[in-house]
Amino acid sequence: MTPLLDVQGIHTYIGQFHILEGVDFSVGEGEIVALLGRNGAGKTTTLKSIIGLTPPRSGEVVFDGEILRGKHTYDIAARGIGLVPEHRAIFSALSVEENLRLAERRKGDLERKEEFIFGLFPDLKRLINLPGTNLSGGQQQMLAVARALVPDNRLLLIDEPSEGLAPVLIEQMMEAIRKLSSQSTVLLVEQNFIVASRLASRYVIIEEGVSVAAGDMADLVNDEATIRKYLGAA
Amino acid sequence: MTSTVPTSQRSTDASRWLKANRGRISLAAFFVFVLVYSFVRMDTDDFFITIIRGVAVGAITFLVVSGLSLILGLMDVLNLAHGELYMLGAYVGWTIYVRPDTFLDAATPIALVLSALALLPLWRRITSQWPAGKWPRLVVPVVSIVVGLVLVAFLFTKFPLSIWNPDVFTEAPTNDALALDAGTQVVPEHAGFDGISPLLGVIGMWLGGAVLGIGIAAAVERKAEVVAPKPERSSYVISAGVAVFALVVLAVNNPLTEWWYGLGTTQRFFLALGLTTVLAFGLGMFIEVVFIRPLYERLLYQMMMTLGLAFILTETVRTIWGRPSFTMPKPAAFNGTGEGCPGEGLGGLFSGCGTIKLFGSRVRMYNDVLIIVVGVVVLVAITLLLKKSRLGMTIRAGVQDSEMVETLGINVRRVFTVTFGLGVALAALGGVMAGPALGLSTGMGASVLLLALIAMAIGGLTSFSGAAVGAVIVGVMQQLMIKFGSVGISLPGLEEPFKPSPAIVPVSVILLMVVVLLVLPHGLFGREE
Repeated sequence: MTPLLDVQGIHTYIGQFHILEGVDFSVGEGEIVALLGRNGAGKTTTLKSIIGLTPPRSGEVVFDGEILRGKHTYDIAARGIGLVPEHRAIFSALSVEENLRLAERRKGDLERKEEFIFGLFPDLKRLINLPGTNLSGGQQQMLAVARALVPDNRLLLIDEPSEGLAPVLIEQMMEAIRKLSSQSTVLLVEQNFIVASRLASRYVIIEEGVSVAAGDMADLVNDEATIRKYLGAA
Repeated sequence: MTSTVPTSQRSTDASRWLKANRGRISLAAFFVFVLVYSFVRMDTDDFFITIIRGVAVGAITFLVVSGLSLILGLMDVLNLAHGELYMLGAYVGWTIYVRPDTFLDAATPIALVLSALALLPLWRRITSQWPAGKWPRLVVPVVSIVVGLVLVAFLFTKFPLSIWNPDVFTEAPTNDALALDAGTQVVPEHAGFDGISPLLGVIGMWLGGAVLGIGIAAAVERKAEVVAPKPERSSYVISAGVAVFALVVLAVNNPLTEWWYGLGTTQRFFLALGLTTVLAFGLGMFIEVVFIRPLYERLLYQMMMTLGLAFILTETVRTIWGRPSFTMPKPAAFNGTGEGCPGEGLGGLFSGCGTIKLFGSRVRMYNDVLIIVVGVVVLVAITLLLKKSRLGMTIRAGVQDSEMVETLGINVRRVFTVTFGLGVALAALGGVMAGPALGLSTGMGASVLLLALIAMAIGGLTSFSGAAVGAVIVGVMQQLMIKFGSVGISLPGLEEPFKPSPAIVPVSVILLMVVVLLVLPHGLFGREE
């Protein structure tokens, strides 16, 4: 079976800096895959390269059998890829509802998905008319995830969902990601190894812009040598 | 705030609010002081009329600054050509208003060229399949741009065009304006094609535009080995539509001219206002696609490009309409005289008089009332657009983070193009509105741009409501300073009141900007980044 997402040896530059120097991995339909690695290893850049914000200079990103090279970000996203960026990049000038509305690709997307989204994040329903600026950090993070769920995205790129959240909210967020993965495939960047190991079924480790290891999460959890080598003390 | 909150905490909330807003509060106090001082110093009716005139100047400035701030906020482009686009709007509006025959004559050849250029995506598709190398990449584009331009320019002289001549006094555009105002205008004689058959002219013109378009397409930097996407159907539809428009105008040129000259000045004015705004919308989108888009991420180059555009526009206007300034007649419905005029009180607003007496002052219907009304209508319309429509939602989100909007699957570039068009349309609308009040001159763009930039800085660069408030503050301040030129400001230590000379007026507005920015570095409504 061909994977939903196939990243083939991509090299990405930001300005003159060679950030990704060969990243290879694939994600099958319905999986949750965690991208692991130290700060600055190139995990976020990998997500941005997939969706075309920092297009790779060489190598290919293949989504659902289609090569994404040369396509604009909006075009890539419209094929069914949603990005949940780090630092909860919601639109603070827009209300919660407008944030969700903006993500509609067809009229009525929000109405169709409303039940599912508010099932995952009941708080958002209560806050629907509030401006984005008035949300707490956790609420912003929930909105950022919810926004990616409004259209029928087949692949979600989620960057650091647990960053800066209180433990109780991390649990809630993990629960939500587990539930939403029944509808979409998830590629997850996560610094918190415990969170990543409990969510993902497979992992890819990126070290200084190169994908150096990949495999089943169950194996990695018991492989202390690898964890220490690439991720520091777990 | 509920009553359960202890008093001490309430007061800390209040003091925190005071502290956070102390800059705004002190500026508000300063503005109130200026208003009160002016009120005391001037006669009541003088004060009243000065404020109204200030708001009217603010309304014109607002029309320019609203587009400027939308474009800056969304696209990070400081459009230095915005003042000149306002000026161009005034001149084009003048032409459609005063000389519709010239407008109709020029419409056909221009529309034919635009019809060919609208197929730019097709030309790009074709040229992107050419092999690499010096010939197809360098020589062919240059040659076809030159050939295209020469062909278009040559054929333009062959098309029928009845137009004024700024170099001959009796044929200068001033006379047309005076004739229209006096009601003595006659329909100018219609010229014919000059020595070529109309069919040849039409086809040649379109082909000239096509050659030009191919040259432009080939000259645009090409991404490695990527064939440009197939043109969308909309570009064919637009191209065909514009071509049909050109031919229809050519076919019914004479009866249409007769009909147009038969209209009253009020109808002709509003027709000109609407047409100019629509044309400016198209021109703005064209400028964005051709001049701004290739330079994204290179902000300084974009700014230089708009500056260059400003100079080109000024020289173009000087060439076509001449250097001397001239007037634009006021539409009759706002310029009535004679029996019953000036009208009295609020009822006078509907008397059709040129001036009315309001609170003891002479208020000019066009300059002081209509301009403010149009400014308010545009303010409300744009606010509704931003708050209620999906486009407005996208613009507001894009001002904050356009990359993130794109990851939602929205083509932000298209929104950029529409926003740029909208900004230019508003500037042109402002230009046409300003024409009858202030007259037309090639320097009008530069002076309004200065006011607009100051208003934008005071309001907070990318805040739309800030731009509106800033524009009114700048306008009122300017008019007060002009008035103080005759009344004088009594300063401690001076025997005679200080009378600002006209040269100080612009300086005073700049000074105001400096003060505001020192107190509030992000302007009145700007957000800290």
